[in-house]
Amino acid sequence: MMNNSAQAQKSLEFMTERTPSKLLIRLKQQRFLLLMLLPTLIWYIIFKYLPMIGSYLAFTDSGLSANISFVGLDNFRRLFQSPGFWTSFGNTLIISAYYLIFYFPVPVILSLLLNEFRSVRFKRALQFTIYIPHFFSWAVVGSLFVMLLSPGSGPVNEIIKIFGGKPIFFMVSPDWFRSILVSSHLWKDVGYGTVIYIATLATIDPELYDAALVDGAGYWGRLWHITLPCLRSTIAVVLLLQVSNILRVFEQILVMYNPAVYQVSEVLQTYSFTEGLLNGDIGFATAIGLFTSITSLLLVFGTNSLSKKVMHESIL
Amino acid sequence: MVYQLSLGRKVFLVLNVTLCVLIALAVLFPLWMALVTSLAPDHQVIYRDFIMLPTEINFNCYAVVFQSGYMRGFLNSIFVTVVGTALSMVLTLLAGYVLAQKDLVFRRFFMGFIFVTMVFDAGIMPFYVVVRSLKLIDTYAALFIPVLVSTYNLILVKNYMMSIPESLMESARLDGCSEVGILFKIVIPVSIPIIAAITLFYVVFYWNQYINVLMFINDATKYTIQVLLRQLVFDNASIQSGANRVYSNFKMAVMLVAMLPVLILYPFIQRHFVSGIMLGSIKG
Repeated sequence: MMNNSAQAQKSLEFMTERTPSKLLIRLKQQRFLLLMLLPTLIWYIIFKYLPMIGSYLAFTDSGLSANISFVGLDNFRRLFQSPGFWTSFGNTLIISAYYLIFYFPVPVILSLLLNEFRSVRFKRALQFTIYIPHFFSWAVVGSLFVMLLSPGSGPVNEIIKIFGGKPIFFMVSPDWFRSILVSSHLWKDVGYGTVIYIATLATIDPELYDAALVDGAGYWGRLWHITLPCLRSTIAVVLLLQVSNILRVFEQILVMYNPAVYQVSEVLQTYSFTEGLLNGDIGFATAIGLFTSITSLLLVFGTNSLSKKVMHESIL
Repeated sequence: MVYQLSLGRKVFLVLNVTLCVLIALAVLFPLWMALVTSLAPDHQVIYRDFIMLPTEINFNCYAVVFQSGYMRGFLNSIFVTVVGTALSMVLTLLAGYVLAQKDLVFRRFFMGFIFVTMVFDAGIMPFYVVVRSLKLIDTYAALFIPVLVSTYNLILVKNYMMSIPESLMESARLDGCSEVGILFKIVIPVSIPIIAAITLFYVVFYWNQYINVLMFINDATKYTIQVLLRQLVFDNASIQSGANRVYSNFKMAVMLVAMLPVLILYPFIQRHFVSGIMLGSIKG
């Protein structure tokens, strides 16, 4: 039904748009509609499309001299030769890999656990609680972690002291800093990550389980043959979303890092921010951004075609 | 249907309840600690920040916060959030309504035009240059004009409005009702759930924004509470006047002020955001 009417709609659109006179009539009919759309279109042109065009700055020496001149690929040459770039690119990949390894599976498992509860009230109360931190800013979450990890007498170090250890200066420790990034990310967003899975689980037809029960399928059998296949496309979508954010880790690190841990936590986005806004090297910083966007785009399309091959499911 | 629970299943359920309750406590514990610390008097937190239960409660820190420069930051945040959300809602509702019209001219082009920006993003520098060339640096407007429309929210609104029966709008149109009239009299009243959801999304977004404030604002009197909080906690840079040292109780008080609106709105946010996310996952 839906398909038919959509197709009819499409062919109708096609037919009407082919004859210019009809198009003019429709334009006139819809002039108020178009007027209502106009402010948003203008906003998109100024704040989304102008910056895209502005990427040409990556090929100029903007920020370094008063008269902007084209320097070709100089910024990219400098980029690939600078140790700062390779450090931040490496850090970006390592931190993102940690996020994928830890943050990707946990919400799936947690939503399966929550799904086991028969008491709706209990389940609701748990969900209500675990979603909270998602809505706090990184400044707030970072502050909470500073308090928890305070070497003076934060609870974590109190526990270490009880077991006879020496207090650890977590926030300035290069060995610990990435773990702190991962754990604060988990604390903030695990609950949020479960939302989409829980909603998908709720749509599974209970008759499927009853039928499986009649066929003698055990708990694991039902999980493997019914629950997980039903979650498959959701998992694929979430994976793609996470991959598209891989090179964009930014705000969390900008809030939480400090000079003592730059070596392990400077990422492409913070590097671009520092070079462009603090050192004023706009051309170079734009080159970093352009490199990030293009790599990110390639990653997304790569994941999409991988998902097509492995799960026979295209997401885009 | 009554299920006979096997022993293994019982053990699993007990472990499951324990684990989930522990996770919930892990979420609440830092918040509880922050609250207790912010209510403790100075002499308690000078040597120990770790207090589980309050033994003395005073509101000194909050009194200081509300007389200090942090109040200015709080008010800046409120101003940006209120104005930004209002303008965002106007643009998002207008555009969402128009894009929901199935017979709109160039509809596919407009959708593509908007959708592309979700996939490709030029990075922060060109964005900064655009905002700078519009002379918005160091204005409050820089904190909402450049981020007015969220493509995600726009698509949510569009999808929701597309599910409204067309006959409703069509008959109003035949009665000679203007498009703005149809939007306000017919479409908006039946779109309250999605309007509530995205209003809250915008509020949370504006209240929490951080990078843009750092990028576009140099004048410290225009800083929002998030930036001031970060400076206080991470750089130990307090804008509180006077020679008093700043202890952790004061820091936690500022932090709670910085999360206050979100905490107050949280029950409403929670109610709407699940449905909002689900609406967003409908392919449109």
